[in-house]
Amino acid sequence: MHNRLQLSASVEREADLRYTPAGIPVLEMWLRHQSRQLQAGLERDVSCEIQAVLIGEGAPRWAGKLTGQCIAVSGFIAQRGLRNPRLVLHIEHVELIKG
Amino acid sequence: MAHPVPLQVAINVPLAMTFSYLTDRPLPVGCRVRVPFRGGEQTGVVVEDPQAVAVPAHKLKTVESCLDEIPPLPADFLELIRFTSQYYRHPIGQTLFAALPGPLRRPQPARWQDERGWRLSIAAQDAEGPPPRQKARHGLWHALAEPLAYLEAKAITPQAPALLKQWLAEGLVERVDAEPRLQVADGPILNDEQAAAVEAVAGSFGGFAPWLLNGITGSGKTEVYLRLIERVLAAGQQVLVLVPEINLTPQLVERFARRFPATPLAALHSGLADGERLAGWLAAWRGSAGIVIGTRLAVFTPLARVGLIIVDEEHDGSFKQQDELRYHARDLAVWRARQAGVPIVLGSATPSLESVANVEAGRYRELRLSQRAHGAAQLPTVRLIDIRRQKLHDGLAEPAIAALRRRVERKELSLVYVNRRGYAPVIACTECGWLSGCPHCSARLVWHVTDRRLHCHHCGHHEAPPRACPDCGNSDLKPLGQGTQRIEEALTGLLPGARILRIDRDTVSRKDAWEEIYRKVLGGEVDVLIGTQMLAKGHDFPALSLVLVLNADGGLYSADFRASERLFAQLSQVAGRAGRADTPGEVLVQTQWPEHPLYQALMAHDVAGYAAQQLAERREACFPPAAFQVAVRADAKTVEEASAFLDAAAALAELPEGVTLAGPAPALMVRLASRERAHLLVEAPQRARLHAFLDDWLPRLAGLQQAHRAVRWSIDVDPQDF
Repeated sequence: MHNRLQLSASVEREADLRYTPAGIPVLEMWLRHQSRQLQAGLERDVSCEIQAVLIGEGAPRWAGKLTGQCIAVSGFIAQRGLRNPRLVLHIEHVELIKG
Repeated sequence: MAHPVPLQVAINVPLAMTFSYLTDRPLPVGCRVRVPFRGGEQTGVVVEDPQAVAVPAHKLKTVESCLDEIPPLPADFLELIRFTSQYYRHPIGQTLFAALPGPLRRPQPARWQDERGWRLSIAAQDAEGPPPRQKARHGLWHALAEPLAYLEAKAITPQAPALLKQWLAEGLVERVDAEPRLQVADGPILNDEQAAAVEAVAGSFGGFAPWLLNGITGSGKTEVYLRLIERVLAAGQQVLVLVPEINLTPQLVERFARRFPATPLAALHSGLADGERLAGWLAAWRGSAGIVIGTRLAVFTPLARVGLIIVDEEHDGSFKQQDELRYHARDLAVWRARQAGVPIVLGSATPSLESVANVEAGRYRELRLSQRAHGAAQLPTVRLIDIRRQKLHDGLAEPAIAALRRRVERKELSLVYVNRRGYAPVIACTECGWLSGCPHCSARLVWHVTDRRLHCHHCGHHEAPPRACPDCGNSDLKPLGQGTQRIEEALTGLLPGARILRIDRDTVSRKDAWEEIYRKVLGGEVDVLIGTQMLAKGHDFPALSLVLVLNADGGLYSADFRASERLFAQLSQVAGRAGRADTPGEVLVQTQWPEHPLYQALMAHDVAGYAAQQLAERREACFPPAAFQVAVRADAKTVEEASAFLDAAAALAELPEGVTLAGPAPALMVRLASRERAHLLVEAPQRARLHAFLDDWLPRLAGLQQAHRAVRWSIDVDPQDF
């Protein structure tokens, strides 16, 4: 089953880096995306906010360096919790966008 | 050679019988012997057993040897063992050996210690003695003109043992009988209620009289004990004091020793080395220890000249042993007081409903201490924080944090009570709902951040936390809920600069941990204590200004009918830590059920009212103390196997009028250490009727084991937990 999301966004806010009981680092953040997209042959404004999480060795590398930055990320989406249908982007790849 | 005669021997085996042996010289009842048993060798004790089946002499083996240089175990001790074995339905041999100190269980001889004192010998009268500039030696030498007991000599100089040994070798001193003289250090002045309590109990000396000393926290119950002990010692008798917790023993021992510096004192608890416990046990038996203080097992200490028994914190659940010999030390203590014909004082700020009912029925007399002993000390104000409408920081409500902060600023001591050790009671996958469970128990694994492992608090299993959820693969597993370690971490962040000390079973495992804690607390080196129920019992920290209770709601709606009684006692005890001496105290309780009657009673300090209400509920439901219960517990690989045994047992019951049998029901925690557990519950409004039924029913169950080999089962008389 496909589940892949690519997104360019700015990082609104980062949570403090935390660790799971097994010692895996987790970095949660909130992304804001704004762009123009083609729809039915017409260009339009698009904006959205999404929570994202970076789990694993990338998390301490990026922690504290992302707030205010523009990034290009890719990953998969999953619902936030058992009874919370809001989506969270699980980041697998991050890149800073210069400029 | 004399004609061999048969005798009965109790041996430490799980059979409800004594064994016949031959002896070629008469051995008195209570004598320890070495006997051949099933190809090996066992320690046994000669007993009387009218029910013993006569075995032809030619089939009997002979007692190998008599072990003791000490006298045979006393008759009243053996009578206590016999009663315990019969009442708690435990094999006589196992009951007896559970009551003996370790060294007496093994086939080695034991001997009295030489407890005689010292005096200067005739040879010394011509000797010059140490010069006055050798102060310690000089003092001891001159004191030895009169017989000195060991403790008296040691009080003169700590070098006494070495000096006496040297002088004895030089023939300058000799061993003589020396009764230690009673020395009593000054105590505080009693208030009217305390004085009246002392007079009432003292007036009952010399006969059996059960007293309930019902005194609010801080009302000075211990001082009442001390005054009574003084009178008993002055009459040349002994006192047995039972306390619930090992870690309360050293504190109380020290207080007793300070008050009665010349009185030999035997402290008996499971934390002692074998030899120490034996020495104390023998000193108690011989009558040379004036004060015998210990945890539940100390109820089995023989006492040559007991004059009074005291059970402190009589409501405490730890007086009931939960495995093997499932006795209740408070109840046995009452039996012993009756046997010995002496008064017994049961002390508590939150008396058990059993004792309250006994007062109502006129069996016990009640003595109330309704004021705090320290004149200026007030009972603390208790306030509830409704956490349904509060934002919580790691389980802490903002008003609670603010109250802690104020105390830290004023340099006053606070206690945060969290009855859960570890960091979090469970770790969870919030995406699929998985929870960390113990593979061997129906219990959650508790996350401990100190060793970074998940621990089962029931069976001891521990494991590394999984890297990812075993069900869905999510690696973001989260600790849920708060234990002491998490509160410690949260408060370290919330109260910068505060000196925080966590006290739970993980931090006080070392022997001297309590001394260290006292030193720090009394030395003003601590701002906030975080602790489990360990901290709730009897510790007197004089400057406690705030007590904050977290996560207590669990006990409000438990399936165990005793849960609310226990919770109320626990909270009253912990609240009682606040506002002692001259610091007014405040108690804050975080709850989702502020309107619950338990909390309302706690706020009003209405111990008696709450007990009356609980007692009415118990009577309504025909639960103890309005009825008497016996549980037959069984465990096996599966709860079905255990229940099948219990079904078969229930089928053998011929229930008389008034006796009911319920179950099999699974235990509240079905699975424990890979065994699944269920029980039958037999109930009757009168104890005698219940036990008459057991006399008829239990012998029939012996045959069931054949068909249920994989089932372990036991009888629990007056069960406390399910």
